[in-house]
Amino acid sequence: MKADRVDLSVDFTGIRLKNPVVTASGTCGYADELSEYMNVDKLGGLITKSITLKPRKGNPVPRIVETDAGMLNAIGLANIGLERFIKEKLPIIKELKVPLFVNVAGEKISDYVAVAERLATEEAISGIELNISCPNVKEGGITFGTEPKQVEKITKQVKKASGDKPLIVKLTPTVTDIAVTAQAAVGAGADALSLVNTFTAMVIDIESRRPYLANRTGGLSGPAIKPIAVYLVNKVYNEVAKSAGVPILGGGGIRTASDAIEFIIAGATVVAVGTATFIEPDAAVQIIEGMKKYCVRKNVSRVGDLVGNLKD
Amino acid sequence: MVNSGKKASVATVIGNKALKKRFGRLTIQFTGEAAGRFLQVMPGQFVQISLSEAALPNPERISSDLADSAQRQILLRRPFSFCDVTVDRPNCVQVEVLYCVLGPATLRITTLSKGDKISIIGPLGNGFSIPPGKKYALLVAGGMGAPPLRHLATFIRANKPKMRLFAFAGAKSLDDLPFTVEGPKSESPVIPEFSGAGTRLHIATDDGSAGFCGLVTQYMEKWLDESKIPPEDIIVFSCGPEPMLAEVARLSEKYGIDCQVSMERMMACGIGLCQSCAVECKGGTKGETVYKLCCKDGPVFNGREVVFESR
Repeated sequence: MKADRVDLSVDFTGIRLKNPVVTASGTCGYADELSEYMNVDKLGGLITKSITLKPRKGNPVPRIVETDAGMLNAIGLANIGLERFIKEKLPIIKELKVPLFVNVAGEKISDYVAVAERLATEEAISGIELNISCPNVKEGGITFGTEPKQVEKITKQVKKASGDKPLIVKLTPTVTDIAVTAQAAVGAGADALSLVNTFTAMVIDIESRRPYLANRTGGLSGPAIKPIAVYLVNKVYNEVAKSAGVPILGGGGIRTASDAIEFIIAGATVVAVGTATFIEPDAAVQIIEGMKKYCVRKNVSRVGDLVGNLKD
Repeated sequence: MVNSGKKASVATVIGNKALKKRFGRLTIQFTGEAAGRFLQVMPGQFVQISLSEAALPNPERISSDLADSAQRQILLRRPFSFCDVTVDRPNCVQVEVLYCVLGPATLRITTLSKGDKISIIGPLGNGFSIPPGKKYALLVAGGMGAPPLRHLATFIRANKPKMRLFAFAGAKSLDDLPFTVEGPKSESPVIPEFSGAGTRLHIATDDGSAGFCGLVTQYMEKWLDESKIPPEDIIVFSCGPEPMLAEVARLSEKYGIDCQVSMERMMACGIGLCQSCAVECKGGTKGETVYKLCCKDGPVFNGREVVFESR
């Protein structure tokens, strides 16, 4: 197999991505910041930082702390709000040559619906990622993502508001059985599942005996969570996604091409690179290159053939 | 979308010297395109250095209070400002970083040696800016805030030779300033790093081991009280711990002097992606505040706009 013969493109909710690597929500801004450091047009796609109906200041500092092989963040969905996003960021996004998915968050279901309805009218936006798994806000976020009935309700309403845009539901791993919430989302019309969001976690400053983060807790990301995320992707693939024919956007601690391929074999059609971008802004591009080399070495002509191809 | 090519660059270590106590000086060199990025560098800007691949010192060289830190893995880059930037020849720039060994990342800096390659992103952020019309610069540093102000002193000497400089640095004790000292230590120590830049550094120590006995901000207030210079001719540049910066900003406002403060925050990326490094600023309507980013909007802010942390 020659490198130029490897087909990295994948079909994701009816959209052709030229490769299966996207940058995760909250780690690539609205594409403009990252574009100073890499050619974003090389990506399979981008997922924006969460957008809410009204602007949000976010949480007080400290908002992050490093841990062994990971970090906690509690940004608190700081964002410029729907109106400014449309006015200031959309013109930039229109120049992108790659699909862009907008992550949507809110405090009430009606907020999510209002944002989705507005975004559904924009041609430049390929799809919507429904954030019901942010662990760092008091209202909304994860509270919609842990109860299957709530997952069903919000998915159904936002799906309706999204018109013909595909809806990706981003799940939290902080539940007893992620297959249950995954099933609830699929049953309510989710076009794809995104997992995992960060794990609720805590770091304590033993000198002051206070939680290190101003928000007390934060979401753990980075290499530390990767094996758990791979397991959860495989579980959701086997128990829900495969039979329903719903693709998975998998991620959690991906730093290298090998990490990304693990997720694909576990059942992810597309992989999201997050924390790694903070360390190497062009990490996702390096991962795409490495993925191609793997395919050459293993004689895989289409990366799509690897999806869920886990042997017993 | 156009890629402006500000990616990570590789720097070569050309020197790494342990100074007194836990301080050290790392000198790195950039060549080619990476060097070009430093030609317009402003004091107060910073770089993000990757240290996760650097080795730890031998266990017997790690002090017992850092034994736990030495067990920690590091993942993120670490931000550092500069003590000096020199253009050696076109396409070759040397950058000096002063560091203090405090945790898992700075422990790893100590093992870097001549010829080692390290990955660096930057220079980043907005440094100090010298407003037109100011005749006097008052530099007020606390502890590890002194190195970027030393860079600023050199910069002003080279670029605004008519501007008069008054530099102040405070620390718990004279030994806690990251510079070598000459002359009689107790009364008027001489700091060659500053005198070499044509500036006398006035020292304040909490324990009275050198210079003014008390906080550097008390020293600053005393100087302002005695000063006959019109406040509109002065600009204050400050870098140090946040409570000190808050007091510098308060005094500057009280005396009607413009003031720039260099803020510090924990940051993951340094390039505006992670939104971690929020600095609360005035500027909303009806007394509301907004969060700006230390990495992109700062690290140098107008002292009057910052809402300083009380914690």
